[in-house]
Amino acid sequence: MSIAGRATPLVDGIEKVTGRARYTADIQCSSLVGDILRSPHAHAEIVKIDTSQARALPGVRAVLTGADCAIPYGILPIAHNEYPLARSRVRYWGEPVAAVAAEDEATARAALELIEVEYRPLPAYFEPKDALEGETLVHADKARNIEREVETSFGELEAGFAAADLVREARFHYAEVTHAQMEPDAALAEYDAERGTLTLQSVTQVPYYVHLTLAQCLQMSPSAIRVIKPFVGGGFGHRTECLNFEIIAALLARAARGAVRIELSREQTFVMHHGRPQTDIRLKLGLKKTGEITAVDADCVQRGGAYAGYGIVTILYAGALLHALYRVPAAKYHGVRVYTNTPPCGPMRGHGSVDMRHAFESMLDSMAGELGLDPFQVRRANLITPPHRTLNGLQVNSCGLAECLDCVEKASQWQKRKGKLGPGRGLGMACSHYVSGAAKPVHWTGEPHATVNLRLDFDGSITLLTGAADIGQGSSTLLAMVAAETLGVGLERIRVIAADSALTPKDNGSYSSRVSYMGGNAALAAAQELKKVLDSAGGETFEDKVRNALKETGPVTVKGTYTVPPELQGGKFRGAGVGPSPAFSYAAQVVEVAVDEDTGEIHVEKIWVAQDCGFAINPLAVEGQIQGAVWMGMGQALGEATRYDPPHGLPMRANFLDYRFPTIADSPPIETFIVEARDPNGPFGAKEASEGALAGFLPALTNAVADAIGIRARELPLTPDAIFEALRKRRRAEKLKAA
Amino acid sequence: MIALPAFRLMHPTTLAEAARLAAEPDARLIAGGTGLLPNLRLGLGKPRTLVSLDRLEELRGISHSNSHLRIGAGVTLEQLSRSEDIPDALREAAKLVAAPGHRTAATLGGNLCLDTRCVYYNQSEHWRRSNNYCLKYGGDTCHVAPQGKKCRAAFSGDLAPALLALEAQVETTARVIPLEELYRDDGAAHLALAAGEIVVAVRIPAPKGRSGYAKARGRGAIDYPLAGVAMALALRDGCVEHLCVALTGTNSRPFVLNGTEAFIGGKPDQAALGKLVQKQAGPVRTTVIAADYRRQAAAILARRLLGRLSQGDESWT
Repeated sequence: MSIAGRATPLVDGIEKVTGRARYTADIQCSSLVGDILRSPHAHAEIVKIDTSQARALPGVRAVLTGADCAIPYGILPIAHNEYPLARSRVRYWGEPVAAVAAEDEATARAALELIEVEYRPLPAYFEPKDALEGETLVHADKARNIEREVETSFGELEAGFAAADLVREARFHYAEVTHAQMEPDAALAEYDAERGTLTLQSVTQVPYYVHLTLAQCLQMSPSAIRVIKPFVGGGFGHRTECLNFEIIAALLARAARGAVRIELSREQTFVMHHGRPQTDIRLKLGLKKTGEITAVDADCVQRGGAYAGYGIVTILYAGALLHALYRVPAAKYHGVRVYTNTPPCGPMRGHGSVDMRHAFESMLDSMAGELGLDPFQVRRANLITPPHRTLNGLQVNSCGLAECLDCVEKASQWQKRKGKLGPGRGLGMACSHYVSGAAKPVHWTGEPHATVNLRLDFDGSITLLTGAADIGQGSSTLLAMVAAETLGVGLERIRVIAADSALTPKDNGSYSSRVSYMGGNAALAAAQELKKVLDSAGGETFEDKVRNALKETGPVTVKGTYTVPPELQGGKFRGAGVGPSPAFSYAAQVVEVAVDEDTGEIHVEKIWVAQDCGFAINPLAVEGQIQGAVWMGMGQALGEATRYDPPHGLPMRANFLDYRFPTIADSPPIETFIVEARDPNGPFGAKEASEGALAGFLPALTNAVADAIGIRARELPLTPDAIFEALRKRRRAEKLKAA
Repeated sequence: MIALPAFRLMHPTTLAEAARLAAEPDARLIAGGTGLLPNLRLGLGKPRTLVSLDRLEELRGISHSNSHLRIGAGVTLEQLSRSEDIPDALREAAKLVAAPGHRTAATLGGNLCLDTRCVYYNQSEHWRRSNNYCLKYGGDTCHVAPQGKKCRAAFSGDLAPALLALEAQVETTARVIPLEELYRDDGAAHLALAAGEIVVAVRIPAPKGRSGYAKARGRGAIDYPLAGVAMALALRDGCVEHLCVALTGTNSRPFVLNGTEAFIGGKPDQAALGKLVQKQAGPVRTTVIAADYRRQAAAILARRLLGRLSQGDESWT
């Protein structure tokens, strides 16, 4: 292969580094300014809204409230319980209550000041425990404020624990984290009043879901709507659902019969949230002396926030991937997703799997210690050999975890260095995995999972049309590489047009690491189809072939699709739809830390990380994605946390100073290893490469800290003050003992 | 992004003109703007006039005289962090401010006159309104200490403690005063400057020994100090001849630690210094990081800094 497998700079990289790339907020267009009035309460009834003064203000072109959209939305067809503008009740601080479109920003802001809202505050819940016991319901139809309680059980649990030589149980707590993507939220909606059509440009990862939701909330035919995704500055799951500001921009544009631009501030983008929920976990594991896992039993409570969003999927994912990384004979899972008066959570990178993976890998580490086993040995005692079907019906056809383990063990000189680094220094390791797209999409239509068109015209250029949203992860480059490789043409001959519903075929979007596998397979199929056309046309040169191919038929457009085969779509039990994927990535990593025992500061000295991505179509992008994944894990492990303070639910860290993700100054050297256990069904054997390594960082880090100072973190983030407190507590206990 | 409020931007070319403009009602000075502009975007202040100091020659340059080193208020932190001929404490402090991009714009004068910070203050208009504002701006309750009548917002500049430890004086358009007198212990009014009074330069006397600055923060860049400690130390035969310590990030003003004269003549006693810092540092809940950690961190920084300067180990940071 001459293109696939070669480290290739992103096809849209030039625009980004030269500043030519236009993100949503950069789009030049004479538009009105949209602005949103937001709730000052965490939970309140809206008694009255008076917009008459705002409407009377010169320069104001539209004023909307919840009365203007009575259609609820939500990503899951079974959980539509959010309105773009709150109706009768607000459920978190910052929830949109009214919106205006005005000729300039100052007028818009002045208009918001003129809107009078009378609230009747209600008891607000910020912790699941309080919500479960509270008398007030966040949603009237959800008793005890439980959005969803799930329970699954596979194998003989009691027998499993009885067969174990060591059984341990522990509790873990994880702070809520959010995406902190660079680009704040923004949308530009243009309503053509004469034709009754709408064009929305937005920061979305999934233009298709936005399209569907706009049609539904605005009661418009989807055919009258066009959704375009310009350059996007990061998503990480923040933008997998249609978000309120996108619908509000569209509603305002229609009301004002023109174009309306909405740009959210950083604080507002933080409150938009849809990140990883605060999570409490109880985990019980049984191991044999050999390290073999005999049984797994887990409880998980997630603080879901005020609306459903992906909540049901998240609570199911935590259970579905809990025991699927290893060969496990028995597993029980109980999950509870709770409504609270905090911003709604969502599908952040590593969706549902990250906190549970930390708990699991932490316990494997400490139990290995008790059994006198090396942490690598414990993992090796439980490896999956493909083909393998997990307890919950996930079909694994390729798994390179063994090789990942070998890679990082050797590179970190684990056997030589572990336990010998001196005081305050330590090594830790852990494994993780992730899906290559969901086998069952959220919107089940019966259509293929992905479609790609290739268009060939007289000039010999090949245009690849895809609905897949490149949000910085490099999907457009990957699809072009797959097509070029298959066609045997240079990459420069392929032009990618992505994510414009007027031009490109529908795609289910950039989430759960689906594009490389599903879009990649569709691009492969399309390119094979076009190659057939060219080959059968015949000719000496490529130009000859093009000329011959176009004779009689004219310009050619071919289509390639991908559908997940039924045998990869999972089991039949309730909730079985979450977890199955056509292929799984695997990762192992070793983290080296130095802990300052005076200040509690943790310095990550080095990361060795290996990921099995099946086949690296673009090794340069794979390396970047692996680095980004462990780096994001580092943020959650060491510093990131949101916080909402009662009584108003004010976000205390809704800015980049107080929400402490690592800076480049904190970034350690990251040595990446690409492992290629080719998947029989992936494009050239490829699987996902963007999420698999994230979850492993957190336990590798805390295992390293345990190795360094003997303190095992069961709460994240592990901030300097937390380490400082833990060390102080231990010193006091030692003093008491000595006295 | 939130747009800035409308204002008139003036670029005076003489100090006298700048002082006259700055004395007008609702005027604010702007140098690098790295502190001011984020606050204006949050709605903290709505000045009608911004008086830019960028064209004032009088504020530029570093010069030496027999009695002191004079550094113009308009010298950028980037320049300071590269200057070999300024005391270590000042250079180290400049290097640890924010990130390289900020330092190319931010100035010495701006850093000295930085507004105090508090988690209940550095928030959007909607945020603060939901919370009934606060004592520092627009309200009458301090959310940090609801019983109190004094704003507890923390001074968070890194340069002031370095200059305090170096016993610097500050030159304004009206007077020359010890730097300490520039500050008041009131988070809502921490600068003792009259209307239109502009900080022009600092004067640093000949150093009495080594100096250094250490900073605790959540990350390796960007962050304001959770605590910052500057120190000037002279030893003779292993005993303290001169010791001056100053703190930032823990109180509403940067301040010189009291009681360091007790160390004169003795061996550098790190534990005793740590205790002294713990007693005098007064962090309260103005950050999302626990106040007690900031107090402990200040003590640890002071202990270590004393150790570093005693040993003269230049590699310690």
